[in-house]
Amino acid sequence: MKVLRARRVAGVLALFALGVLGSIVVGLAAGPSALSPGEVLSVLLAPDAQGAAADIVLRVRLPRVVLSLLVGASLSVAGVLFQALLRNPLADPFVLGVSGGAALGGIAVLSFGASVGLSHAAVPPAAFAGAVLTTLLLGVVSGSRGRASTTSLLLTGVVFNAFASAGIVFLASLAGQNEAAGVFLWLIGSLATVRAEITGWVALFLFAGLACALPLARSLNLLALGEEPAQQLGVDVVRVQRVLLVAASLMVGAAVSVAGLIGFVGLMIPHLLRLLIGPDHRLLVPASALAGAAFLLLCDTAARSLFGGRELPVGAITSLAGGPVFLWLLRRHQQRLFAP
Amino acid sequence: MPPRRLAAALLCGLIAIATAASSRAEPVSAERSPESAKPPRIVSLNPSLTATLIALGAGAQLVGVDDYSARQQSAVRELPAVGGLFNPSLEAILALAPDLVVLVPSAQQRDLRARLAAFSVAVLELPNITLAELLTSIETLGARLGREAAARDRVQAIRNAWQATTAASARQPRVRSVLVLQREPLYLVGRGSFIDSMLVAAGAENLANVFADPYPQASLEWLIAAAPELILDASEDAAASREYWARWPSLPAVAAGRVEEIPASEVTLPGPYPERALALLAAAVHPALAAPPVAPLPPRSAAPPRPPPREVEP
Repeated sequence: MKVLRARRVAGVLALFALGVLGSIVVGLAAGPSALSPGEVLSVLLAPDAQGAAADIVLRVRLPRVVLSLLVGASLSVAGVLFQALLRNPLADPFVLGVSGGAALGGIAVLSFGASVGLSHAAVPPAAFAGAVLTTLLLGVVSGSRGRASTTSLLLTGVVFNAFASAGIVFLASLAGQNEAAGVFLWLIGSLATVRAEITGWVALFLFAGLACALPLARSLNLLALGEEPAQQLGVDVVRVQRVLLVAASLMVGAAVSVAGLIGFVGLMIPHLLRLLIGPDHRLLVPASALAGAAFLLLCDTAARSLFGGRELPVGAITSLAGGPVFLWLLRRHQQRLFAP
Repeated sequence: MPPRRLAAALLCGLIAIATAASSRAEPVSAERSPESAKPPRIVSLNPSLTATLIALGAGAQLVGVDDYSARQQSAVRELPAVGGLFNPSLEAILALAPDLVVLVPSAQQRDLRARLAAFSVAVLELPNITLAELLTSIETLGARLGREAAARDRVQAIRNAWQATTAASARQPRVRSVLVLQREPLYLVGRGSFIDSMLVAAGAENLANVFADPYPQASLEWLIAAAPELILDASEDAAASREYWARWPSLPAVAAGRVEEIPASEVTLPGPYPERALALLAAAVHPALAAPPVAPLPPRSAAPPRPPPREVEP
């Protein structure tokens, strides 16, 4: 592994931060209504502006820009952490079943909340409760002997996801026509139902997760050698695994509970960045937060702008746009990736 | 027992069971062949068709309905329910030995039509998205069940109400409106549905008719940019509609206090009495106008006599 110089870290991160800024400009300027860049700018410069343009820029576009940055960063960082902790390139934020638990909680409210007097605002808290319960369950099932083996964690996650999908199908088939449509959109993932009051929670879990992950980035690098070698090199493997699994699970839970199951971001952004900037987690973790944020924001801007007044679920865009790009990169870097 | 003999014994057993099953099936199919004089036994798989059948006085011939009809119409609550709009049970339908199954075309129910046809059950597929389709479905059911006069009267009453409302609203300015079916995600009434026709007759300009889809999903940004003067909220969200829409004070409808809650069950079901919904919408769009003359309606929950049990049928 190459020595990581501070100048390189600063340079790469500055480049990615520029990308995020660019995507914010695009996200605020683009939309289905015909606002000129001048109008957008004048509203932004006068934040107490009233009227339709102010409502659109400050209260429709801006909260979505912020939320898509946070969700994109959360999913992408969680993907990096899961791939490193489980030492499995197929791991994504949804692999441990936390998303399945969140989906089950959210969809229970989507399907039957209205009949017990719960409005749509109750979906995110219910989903987050599902995510937390699943995290606890994972801890109980696979960590009972003090140390979670990655295989039993993965298996628990796979089984729980299967259980959760069955539960979701069961609930959706009992629900009415309108509710079933809502469940479908939620499963693909959409940022259309953004609420200012829950954006703060996503931010809280993202920054708490980053605060846990950044100091442990060097340990993650050593963990790539295997659990025993890492232990011998002075890494407290059990503690690192526990802290980061909980941190990543809560990040995913918060992101999924507001945006549904947005695929691709958490699996591909980490791989893409490993191809572009290498596998050092001290750079990979912050860079993937920035890249995931910018990527999801651009996808969401496309989802709400390209089809007039209609909206596509952003989860469909992330996979449609990201899949081919990733395959192309994989082909270009194949030799480097698969070299012994 | 050697394997070959075991296989032969199993085969014999299977054949015996199959023969018994097919001989048992015989009387059912014989029973199903309708005599021309006997009123047909009907299964309805859609709440609006159920309501139309009851309105035409054919409620007594219903022997089974979908779950949604059973919830919506108190008159058929006691009938056997054969499943939801998306997952009706073929077996439950066949067990009722219907002569006629009525349904609306949909991806799931189209497949059902072919499967019912394989059991020689007559299926009537009646679309009900547009007003014209709704009127046709009333006339078709009337013709099929020998209740042409009732169907004609019903259709005429609807046309009269439409003409009266259109004439009354014609002298008024068009009100730029949207009708919200669901808030999150936002679903509206778009172009071409019978609700769109009602909005036009009531004197509204349906802003969402820019969408070709009868019930499109739209973005909040589109709604704010469209600047409706009137929001008709038929969503079944628990939160109060005025409070919900007050978040967007730039909407002319919110500024003018013109957010109206519309009971979804009254307006969104393409039933046999659309003039009731039309009067409701007309009053919401132009409150100054007196309610247009509407013929007195029969009570909605008039219970039809229960169909006779199958065993005592001739």
